[in-house]
Amino acid sequence: MKTWQKWMPAAVIPVVIAGIAIAVPMSADAAVHLPAKTPAQVLELMASSSVTAFSGTISQTSDLGLPSLPTTGLGSGSSLAGTLALLTGTHTVRVYVSGASRVRVQQLDQLAERDVVRNGTDVWVYSSAGNTVTHATVPSRDRHRAVPLPATLPTPAEAADRIVAALQKSSTLRVGTSERVAGRAAYELILTPTATDTLVGSASIAVDAATGLPLRVDVTARAQTAPAVSLGFTSISLARPAASLFAFTPPAGATVTEQTAPRQHAAPAPSKPATTPPARTVTGTGWDAVVTIAADARTRTLTSSKQFTALTSVVPGGRLFHTSIVNVLFTADGRVVAGSVPESTLAAVAAARSK
Amino acid sequence: MSRAETADERAPGGSGPAAARATLGWGLLGTEISVLFRRRRTWAMLGALAIVPVLIAVAVKLRPAASASGRGPAFLDQITSNGLFVAAVGLVVCVPLFLPLTVGVVAGDTIAGEASAGTLRYLLVAPAGRIRLLAVKYLGAAVFCVAATLSVAVAGALAGAVLFPVGPVTLLSGDTISVGESVVRSLLVALFITVSLLGLSAIGLFISTLTDVPVGAMAATIVLAVVSQVLDSLPQLDAIHPWLFSHYWFGFGDLLRQPISWDSFGSNALLQLGYFVVFGALACGRFTTKDILS
Repeated sequence: MKTWQKWMPAAVIPVVIAGIAIAVPMSADAAVHLPAKTPAQVLELMASSSVTAFSGTISQTSDLGLPSLPTTGLGSGSSLAGTLALLTGTHTVRVYVSGASRVRVQQLDQLAERDVVRNGTDVWVYSSAGNTVTHATVPSRDRHRAVPLPATLPTPAEAADRIVAALQKSSTLRVGTSERVAGRAAYELILTPTATDTLVGSASIAVDAATGLPLRVDVTARAQTAPAVSLGFTSISLARPAASLFAFTPPAGATVTEQTAPRQHAAPAPSKPATTPPARTVTGTGWDAVVTIAADARTRTLTSSKQFTALTSVVPGGRLFHTSIVNVLFTADGRVVAGSVPESTLAAVAAARSK
Repeated sequence: MSRAETADERAPGGSGPAAARATLGWGLLGTEISVLFRRRRTWAMLGALAIVPVLIAVAVKLRPAASASGRGPAFLDQITSNGLFVAAVGLVVCVPLFLPLTVGVVAGDTIAGEASAGTLRYLLVAPAGRIRLLAVKYLGAAVFCVAATLSVAVAGALAGAVLFPVGPVTLLSGDTISVGESVVRSLLVALFITVSLLGLSAIGLFISTLTDVPVGAMAATIVLAVVSQVLDSLPQLDAIHPWLFSHYWFGFGDLLRQPISWDSFGSNALLQLGYFVVFGALACGRFTTKDILS
């Protein structure tokens, strides 16, 4: 055998692997043929969705133009670090849903996990990092109803419902090309803002053709091709998850905190400033709405931290936290002004409000 | 020489001389493994690996309060309540450096070690064929990967059982499993880590065919293991992360969830298979065309 023949496998195998690596994603993206639907029909399909039990893996990626932070140094310990970790990189979440009152959400981190389990009126939050458990009780009148769970990402369906409810009126709707999400054929509903001064270019919702369940939500910034935020199933099963998954008992040795007044906003883990209850005003509606939050203890803790200074830049009138789809202005007098609008609009709102 | 290896590559199907050659292959593997495990160096490395979890257990036993701070490697704060976590902490500590170090020594020594000792040509005098010799050497390294991972896990479990109470184990998801099931999970974790090291072993085998200086091959393999991890920690390079052989090294945590997440196990196995095939082919190309002078 000649020398070149002996080297053949070494030359051919990488080529074959590269071929497979290119071909497999392409075949997954291959054109999906579905009967044509108007945007109104897709919305109707979404509204008619009656999926009450499913399990699946959700992947959330953010590309907000923030500096990439090394994932190792940031634990889920500090609340700001936790929020920041959600704003950068990729996160994997497993969800198990069996009716409105039995939900389990697992945020999978490297060698760590955070679980939120709702079983009837009990809500448990377990964090493996500190081996801590928080227990809350859902009021019995809400026993069979869905309630927002603390410290979890929304599912694509929840995010899609919120986007449609809040922004349908201020958007132009169209149906994009059908695609395959988590192995299921899906319609793509695209919402483009009618307002011209928002940072958001479009939001797209992939709606499962068979069940109407939203499978993925992408938000794309203006002048950006890759989605700024993407939240979608990578795998989904419509079988009812085993009941044992929802039976949570705090593990031995865990620190259990009882939450006496379970309020929707009383999340133990980071919540965005927008959910802070008091003194919150909204200017405008739709995509270019601007939220103003008055100064309180929470905003002061936030602005006094070291990471805050590193992540914001000085602008006239305060400090600005800038991402490709959201700007947050922290004014000198302690207010927080946020919106999917350019910095100048925020400054104008802040100036008008302070008068 | 060349006639023997040509016949070898065509995978003879069970006739007389082929069967003789097959027994020769198994015999060669037996010899290789017994030589590997009769070396003092191998036992020294396995012993050093086993000491890591023992040291951790003793340190936590002496100052239990210091481990409750939440700092340090994952699972460290669980040890005082359950000794079985010593094995997990030991593996977390050994995966980034100690395991690749020992595997790099064994894999880098495979061919270069024989070449430098002047025994390589004698091995090839027997009608075993060069590819068969490579396969046997690789399997020897793979057996060492199993032994290295198990020595950390078993030493950790034993040290933990001696120094701390043992009981039902809390998974990352907060669910509790029995001791019996936790042994199954530990073995799965050991399997995951063993598979994780197979790609590195293939790289070591290839580098070992390039040189007659075993120390050079060992050092190069270990350096690559470190470089791969450094690249994997840089967020700017996230496009190449899924292709780095060390990318899933800590993915064994997915076996400690309820229910088990097999995604990273599958991705890791596929990735390591890719490294095995690519570097195995490179090693074959190099070794079958090499002039064996020593």
